[in-house]
Amino acid sequence: MDVFASLFMFWLVNIAHSLTGCALQSCSDLHSNPLGGNTAAYLLLIKYRRRYRSCLAVDEMGETSSVENEFDDWFIESLKIYNNIHEYQLEHPTRVIEWTSEKTICVAGYSSDKNEILELLLPLKLFSDDNQGLCAERDFKVVHGGFSVGSIHCLKHIPGTRCVVTNDGFNSNLQVWDVGGDDCDVIKRTGVLQLKSASSDKGVKIAPGLTGGPCVLHGSQISDIQLTELTSGKPLYSLGKDIPDLLSSLQFVSGSVFLACACNGDLYVGDTRKPSALQNNPAGGREGVHWCMGVKTDLFSSDPSSCSVARLSSACQVVVSDLRDLRAPLCQAQLHVQRKTTSDDFMKVTWAPALDNCLAVSGFDGMVQIYDTASWRPELMEFQPLFIHQGHMMSDDQFDTSSAVVTTHVWHPSRPRTVLSAAVDGSVHVWDWVDKATASC
Amino acid sequence: AHVHLCISSSCFLSGAGQDVGRSCILVSIGGKNIMLDCGMHMGFNDDRRFPDFSYITQQGRLTEFLDCVIISHFHLDHCGALPYMSEMVGYDGPIYMTHPTKAICPILLEDFRKITVDKKGETNFFTSQMIKDCMKKVVPLNLHQTVQVDDELEIKAYYAGHVLGAAMVQIKVGSESVVYTGDYNMTPDRHLGAAWIDKCRPDILISESTYATTIRDSKRCRERDFLKKVHETVERGGKVLIPVFALGRAQELCILLETFWERMNMKAPIYFSTGLTEKANHYYKLFITWTNQKIRKTFVQRNMFEFKHIKAFDRSYADNPGPMVVFATPGMLHAGQSLQIFKKWAGNEKNMIIMPGYCVQGTIGHKILNGQKKLEMENRQTISNGQSEIERCEPGCCRLSLEVKLQVEYMSFSAHADAKGIMQLIRMAEPRNMLLVHGEAKKMEFLKDKIEQEFTINCFMPANGETTTVITNPSVPVDISLNLLKREMALGGPLPDPKKPRTMHGTLIMKDNSLRLVTPEQALKELGLNEHQLRFTCRVQLQDPHSDPDTLSRIYTHLKSVLKGYTIQHLPDGTVMVESIVIKVSSSAEEPNTKVLLLSWSYQDEDLGSFLSTLLKKGLPSGLSSM
Repeated sequence: MDVFASLFMFWLVNIAHSLTGCALQSCSDLHSNPLGGNTAAYLLLIKYRRRYRSCLAVDEMGETSSVENEFDDWFIESLKIYNNIHEYQLEHPTRVIEWTSEKTICVAGYSSDKNEILELLLPLKLFSDDNQGLCAERDFKVVHGGFSVGSIHCLKHIPGTRCVVTNDGFNSNLQVWDVGGDDCDVIKRTGVLQLKSASSDKGVKIAPGLTGGPCVLHGSQISDIQLTELTSGKPLYSLGKDIPDLLSSLQFVSGSVFLACACNGDLYVGDTRKPSALQNNPAGGREGVHWCMGVKTDLFSSDPSSCSVARLSSACQVVVSDLRDLRAPLCQAQLHVQRKTTSDDFMKVTWAPALDNCLAVSGFDGMVQIYDTASWRPELMEFQPLFIHQGHMMSDDQFDTSSAVVTTHVWHPSRPRTVLSAAVDGSVHVWDWVDKATASC
Repeated sequence: AHVHLCISSSCFLSGAGQDVGRSCILVSIGGKNIMLDCGMHMGFNDDRRFPDFSYITQQGRLTEFLDCVIISHFHLDHCGALPYMSEMVGYDGPIYMTHPTKAICPILLEDFRKITVDKKGETNFFTSQMIKDCMKKVVPLNLHQTVQVDDELEIKAYYAGHVLGAAMVQIKVGSESVVYTGDYNMTPDRHLGAAWIDKCRPDILISESTYATTIRDSKRCRERDFLKKVHETVERGGKVLIPVFALGRAQELCILLETFWERMNMKAPIYFSTGLTEKANHYYKLFITWTNQKIRKTFVQRNMFEFKHIKAFDRSYADNPGPMVVFATPGMLHAGQSLQIFKKWAGNEKNMIIMPGYCVQGTIGHKILNGQKKLEMENRQTISNGQSEIERCEPGCCRLSLEVKLQVEYMSFSAHADAKGIMQLIRMAEPRNMLLVHGEAKKMEFLKDKIEQEFTINCFMPANGETTTVITNPSVPVDISLNLLKREMALGGPLPDPKKPRTMHGTLIMKDNSLRLVTPEQALKELGLNEHQLRFTCRVQLQDPHSDPDTLSRIYTHLKSVLKGYTIQHLPDGTVMVESIVIKVSSSAEEPNTKVLLLSWSYQDEDLGSFLSTLLKKGLPSGLSSM
């Protein structure tokens, strides 16, 4: 067999491969446009990339369409109406923004395919109160990242841990993730929690437990709400009432008392210490109207009036009540919104944690609106917003901004007028609007 | 089997790697050694600021070892050690950089030398002459022009969009290639375009990753902040000083302010310091060759610096009352006009200074950016001699104590690719391996996973001083003998299709640096070897209640009917032969009905042999005559 020592017999020669390789090479050479066509930005000496782009389309400079003017107007206007505004572009859009610490948030993709969960460190500039000018850092830092096979519709951080719990919006399983520490930047999945009675393919709403060991309250319908211990997966409480209404929002208001809002607008008050107790507060809402809720809680106060509940309907109404009587509205308002989406998927209402009587509403279009409920009355009237963030409709990318829809928003826990918002184009904005009342004096 | 020749490309990182500071990368590819960038660490004042060349010099002179040096752009952390390397350590080979880099690099080096030697009084540093001598070794590069460094090594520059003249380079030896990005930017801005590269599929893509884990705030918001600060100061009657390097971001900011003034109908004057215009125009002419037809056309129609609101500055204006905005050089406040104006305005809290870039340690710029409120400085007199400004300490000059009351703002307009940008570039170039330099490994595991998953390529993050070896899969050209091709043709089959691989058999001879594929017979003849026979044998059990010879006859009949067109013989010695395959039948006395068939075939008839063994395992059909 010594022949084989110097010879490789029966060789496969891939003639075809080298032939096609050559063909591709010459093709790509033809495409070698020197600067990729983008450097022309310089010549026009104009304000914004976007205007530039359309100038090229119009062929000569100077011609600007009304869209560009609107865009410019907003840019100039933004100098006056925001103290700070930061605009980021994620690779993939998110519909969750969740605080994981004072300075970090989690975002995650919701595409049907593979997705990423990212923990982002907010820029120092947003936290340095004095000497802000010397702080040039204005970028998000990806401090931890992980991969999820499914899409992420709901993501909640478990206070006091490095855990987040997610749901894909299509089944009742909860994914548990370890966001990780300083030694590693990879977010790892540590477990799956299965809902006892998997009754729906609508996905699950999640509320982290506020006191005691790490646990989550979760459910897809009012009937299958359950409290589960995170580490063992052991169910600690289940509602066990036969109410098949779909759940739209879920939140603890104290260590054991929680509020659940059904999609039809009904509000339920439950107590994980008393499985039989469940108080129902029908909203008497119209047929076909979708509701969600935002709750403002003060954990240090036992006064039921300190817990305000705002319910937002797909008909753009907000009903405010508090724990004393959830049936009778304290005040309500017809919002000044022109819906641009028919989906109720992104509807969201939240109370400002550090600003009295203010709430933010998004999910109908490309805006986030801030309302001051102090002037609202018990009877339904239309009210104008205190502030509108239109930034997501003014994105400078190719994306058609008229179809922009805000997917979610959250308030900064301590800065009164700082809000983070995200839209379907992958944009995430951090903005801090100027209070006209104080600015004018 | 595919052709697997393991040829390694190793990247030795001296400087870059996971340590933000300086870039200096050594790449060995196909026997060639190339140094990519030769940067200086801005944080050190001693020897550590220069890359450690002893790794190379212990093996001999740099010139012998290195085939060439390539500089990606003019920032000092990428070119600052160049005169040290070429003139003090000693290197006489070619240094490649783009035209704009070649023009700007010596100015920056000279500026830096002045700060280090003249101001800080350091010795053991390169001299002005050394910078000049070093620049004589520079060979300019044009975009997309393939430069043949020698017979085997070629390099090609691509647009990187980071600063004027910034380039990415493709290095190619034979079928192996490496792309080095330097610093690059994937989003176009006011005066630079986005980085671009063709689908060159390099074996390794070496990318900077300083900003790999960041998601960048939009340019628009940076500009908004700048305008807001300027506007507020001017509104309250203050003066704004913007120290700039003559070129680069200065133009961008002028364009921005001009538009804003127009739009807001602002009246406060904007000035830029003398010298800025000529310098800028000079470089913009260089820049023009870097842009497309459209930009060149506009440049002819309109001078970029004929601004309506921005006028040339005279030093007497600094004392004028009322608000104003002044762009002045140099950018780090270490000398010249910007420092003079700063001294005049620093005491008034209504005023503002906006630092749009990085400042070297030891400069006033660096001090005030670190929040220093009291500055001790020598009261120098400036003598201006046209292009450069020389500072002299007059005899008996006094120390000046300066209180910094004006507002200090730091705004970074630098253009770097962030996490998204890196992914975009990988998508463009489609490398086979990825190498990230300039970042922290611990914080980039996720990015590494992401790159490896999304593109199914390997991603490396070597630490400083670490060597990474990447195994490449180059295509190896092989000559095929005409005889072999003719024989393949004679075998028939479908006509060759360039899109489909086709298998052919032959013998590969690797001799005298050449690879040839020939017929086995020819190979044997050439090498004077005897042919060896390789035979396979296999046993098949069969239940057949006949005598052994009858079973053999039945097999013969069966094969005759199945294998049409093959030579099948029933030989008198009790065997059946199909081509070269021999079949024998035997059985034991205890179980006469269990026949053991013995099959034997040569390697050449492997296909037929395995077919027959499979066929016979199925047994013989009933109703066969045994003749």
